[in-house]
Amino acid sequence: MKKLYTIGALATVLFSACRPSANVTTPPTSGEAVFTNYLAVGCSFTSGYADDALTVSGQLNSYPQRLFEQMETIKSGNGATGPFIQPLVTGDNGYPTPKLVAGTKYYCDGTSSIGPVVSTLPLDSNGSWHYTSPVNNGQINNIAVPFIRVADYAVAGYANNNNMLAKRFYYDANKRPLDELYSRVFNLHPTFFTVWLGATDVLGYALAGGQGNGTGTATPVLGNYYNQNDITPFQVFADYYDSVVTAVSSTSASGALLNVPDITALPYFTAVPSNGLVITRQSQADSLQALYKSRGFDIVFQEGKNQYVIKDNDDKTRQSVPGELILMTIPRDSIICAGWGSVKPIPKEYVLTTDELQNIRTMVDKYNENIRQQCIRRKLAYVDINAFMKTLATGMPYNGIKYSAEYISGGAFSLDGVHMNARGNALIANYVLNTINTYYHSTVPLTDANKYPGVKYP
Amino acid sequence: MKKHVITASLLLSAMTTFGGGYQLNLQGLRQMAMGGSGTAWPWDASTIFYNPGGLTRLKGIQIYAGTAMIMPTTAYGNRDNSGVVSSNEQTAKQTFMPFNLYIGGPVHEDSRIGVGLGIYSPFGTGMKWNDNWMGKYIVQSVELKTVFFQPTVSYRATEWLSVGAGFVVGTGSLDMQRALPVHGAQGPGLDDGKASLHGNAAGVGFNVGAQIKMSENLQLGLTYRSQVNMDIDGGAAKFRVPTSLKDSFPGTTFSARLPMPAVATAGFGWRRGDFTLQMDFSYTAWSAYDSLRIDFKQTTTSLTNMRAPRLYRNTFTPRLGMHYKISRVVALMAGGAYDPTPVVNDIVSPDLPDADRIVLSCGITVKPLPGLTIMGAFEGVNSVKRNGEYVYAGFNGVYKTAAATPAIGLYYSF
Repeated sequence: MKKLYTIGALATVLFSACRPSANVTTPPTSGEAVFTNYLAVGCSFTSGYADDALTVSGQLNSYPQRLFEQMETIKSGNGATGPFIQPLVTGDNGYPTPKLVAGTKYYCDGTSSIGPVVSTLPLDSNGSWHYTSPVNNGQINNIAVPFIRVADYAVAGYANNNNMLAKRFYYDANKRPLDELYSRVFNLHPTFFTVWLGATDVLGYALAGGQGNGTGTATPVLGNYYNQNDITPFQVFADYYDSVVTAVSSTSASGALLNVPDITALPYFTAVPSNGLVITRQSQADSLQALYKSRGFDIVFQEGKNQYVIKDNDDKTRQSVPGELILMTIPRDSIICAGWGSVKPIPKEYVLTTDELQNIRTMVDKYNENIRQQCIRRKLAYVDINAFMKTLATGMPYNGIKYSAEYISGGAFSLDGVHMNARGNALIANYVLNTINTYYHSTVPLTDANKYPGVKYP
Repeated sequence: MKKHVITASLLLSAMTTFGGGYQLNLQGLRQMAMGGSGTAWPWDASTIFYNPGGLTRLKGIQIYAGTAMIMPTTAYGNRDNSGVVSSNEQTAKQTFMPFNLYIGGPVHEDSRIGVGLGIYSPFGTGMKWNDNWMGKYIVQSVELKTVFFQPTVSYRATEWLSVGAGFVVGTGSLDMQRALPVHGAQGPGLDDGKASLHGNAAGVGFNVGAQIKMSENLQLGLTYRSQVNMDIDGGAAKFRVPTSLKDSFPGTTFSARLPMPAVATAGFGWRRGDFTLQMDFSYTAWSAYDSLRIDFKQTTTSLTNMRAPRLYRNTFTPRLGMHYKISRVVALMAGGAYDPTPVVNDIVSPDLPDADRIVLSCGITVKPLPGLTIMGAFEGVNSVKRNGEYVYAGFNGVYKTAAATPAIGLYYSF
C-alpha cells in the first residue's frame, strides 16, 4: 500500500510539473535615465516621412513613436508618460507630394515589374497650416521637420520661404527653427531627448547627383540659407548642431544623439547597378566600341556585364568605374529604349562619381566625429546608426525575416528608397533602445518590428 | 518526495556527456514506465522493438497493443538585449496518439526460433504556435509522424545467448506551415503570405539485438537500430501571396530527406525475487541531421531551396527503471531518464526548441485473467529552461517544454 501511495505521489508531482512557463520576466526599468517627458528632434527620418510623403500612418509609425511606446512600459518610475503628441497630418495620401504605392510598372520593351507608382488620390491640403496640439498647453513631443538640415536652424522665415512642410510644425513661420525648438523645450520640459540630424545636410547634394558644392566651402545663397544641393560646411554644421543640443539639454535632460548614416548605401543609390549594361553578343560590343572610337573615346566593351557610360562632373564622357552609383530616379525606359548608358552617356545628374562619393563620405565622417565629441562632452548616449545601416546593408536576419538595404525586397525601406518604412523605423527604435539601455543601464524592452507593415504588395 | 526528485535529477545531470530531438520513447508500456529502459529484459512482445534478441525468450506467442497520448506544451518568452522577457507564448494544446502493435514469440514451445512483426512510432514531433506569434516567419506549425513496420526473427543460440534481427520499413509524413514575410494592403497579421508543405515520407533500415544471460540474476542486452532516411518526394508546396507575387511563388512540389538517426544501446537487468532493476545507456547518432534541406521542383528568385542548418550533435542517454511484482496479479514500475538535447546552442529553432530533458515515469500492470495483461503508464517530461538563439533567422528567446503522456495497452499470451 505504501508503494501505491508513493506512485500516486510521484504522479502528482509529474502532473504539476507538466505545465511549462518561460516566464522569467524582468520588469522594465529606467536605469539612470528619466523618460517621463520625451522629446524627439530630427529631420525626415525622425518625422515618419515615408514613400516620398508625410502621411498620418507614416507619422504613427515613426521611430520616436515606437521609442515612446517602449519607454511607457516602465511602470516602476521614470517611464514615459503620455500622451505622445506628433503634429499629425490628417490624411494618408501625402502632402505636399502624393505618396508612392507599390504597383506594376510597364516599360517600353513590354516588360513589367513591381515598383513605385505615384498615388492618384487627392492630396492632404491640411499640411499647409500649423498643427494644433490637443493638449491644452500645446505640447508636442516629436518636432522633427521633414528635410530640415542642421544649417537651416539659423534661417529666419524658414517655414515661409524654404520648406512648405515646416508650416505644419512651426507656430511662427517667421522665426528661426532654433527659436521654435526653444519654444517646444520650454513647453514640454523634456527629461529625455533624441536628436537625429545631419543626414539631410549631405543628402541634397547626393539626390542632385552631386550637382552642388560638395567640398564643404559652400556659402549662403540668401541670408543664412544654403542651397539645397550643397553640402553644409563643417563649421556651420558644428555650430548649429551645438546650438540644437544646447537647446534640448537646457532643461537638464539626458538623451541620445544619433549619428549620420553613410547615405550612399541607401537603396536610392544602390538599386540600379552601375554595371547594368549587358551585352549579349561580342559583335554588339565591337560595334559599340567602334561608335565611341568614331567620337574620339577609347572605351572597351565586352560580352556580358559592362559599366555604364556616363557624363562625369566635368562633362566628360567616360565609362563609370565600379563603386560609382546611378540614382534610382533614372528613367528605366531611357536605359532600355533610348540607349542611355550605352550609345548615350547617362546625364551627370543621375550619377555619383568617385569624387562626389568621396565628398559625401568625408563629410559624414567629420559630422560623426563631431557628434561623438558632443556625446562625450555632454555625457549623452552615442547611437551609431551608421553602423546599424552598414549591418542592414549586408543583410540582417531578424525574427525570421532577412532585412537588407535592397530596394523593395529588403523589407526595411519605403518605396522612396531613402526613408524607412514602419518596420525599418521599428528596427531603428530597437537599435536606439539597445544603446540607451547600455548607456543608462535601463531595461527598456524592444518592440517586435515584424508587427508593423512593410511594403504593401498589390 | 519532491526533494528526492531533485536529487535524482542532479545526479543524472552530473553524468551527462553532452536526446530529445524528435525521438519518441514510447514503444512499450512497461519500458515507458521504467524510464524507457528495456534492452536487457524481454518483458513482452514489445521486445521486437527494444531488443529483437529477446523475442525467442517469451513463453509463447503474444498479441500486444498499446497507445499513448502525448500532451506537450512549449512555452516561449522573447528575450531581447534588454534582458526583459516579454511576449510570452504557449503552443496550442494538442494530443498526439502514437500506437504500438506487436505480434510474435517462439514459433512453438521451447523452440529456439522466434518470429514477429512490430508496428510502432519511433520518431515524431508536433507543435502549433499561435498563427501570429513572433516566430511566425520561421514556423507556425510543424508535424512529423512516423510509423515503422518491422518483421523480425530471433534465434536462441545457446542457453545464455539469443540474437534477433528485424527489417524496418518506415512510413511517415511531414507538415509545415509558416508565414511568408510579404503582405498586401491590410498589413502583417491580416493578409500575410503563407507557405504550406505536406509530404509523405518513406525509408528502410534494420534493428538488431542480442541478449546475454550473465547469471541467474544478471542479463545484458545490446541493440543497434540503424539510421532510416525518410525521403519525401513529390510533396505538395502551396503558397498564398499577394496577387502581384503569384508568379514568384508558384505552387510546386518539393523533396526532402529527414534522417531518423541510428541508436545503439547497451542495457543491464538485475533481478532478485520479485524486484527487477534495469539500466540502459543509449547513444543516438543525431549528427546525421546536419541541415534541413527542402528542394522545390520549380524555383524562382523569391522561392529558393531551403537550407536551414541543424548541426545536431550525438547524445548519450542513461535510463533507469524498476519493476516490482506485488502479487501474481499486480506489478508496479517506475523509472527515469536524462535525455540530453542534440540541438546545439546557436540553432535552437522554434520548430523544435529542444533542451535537455528529465523524464520521470511510472506504471502498473494487472493480470485479471490468465494470459491477459492490462498495462497503464504515465510519463512526465520536463525540459530545462533554455536560452535559445537561432542565429540563422535572428530569433532569440527562452524556451521550456513539458509533456504529460498517459498510456494504456494490453496483451494476450497464447
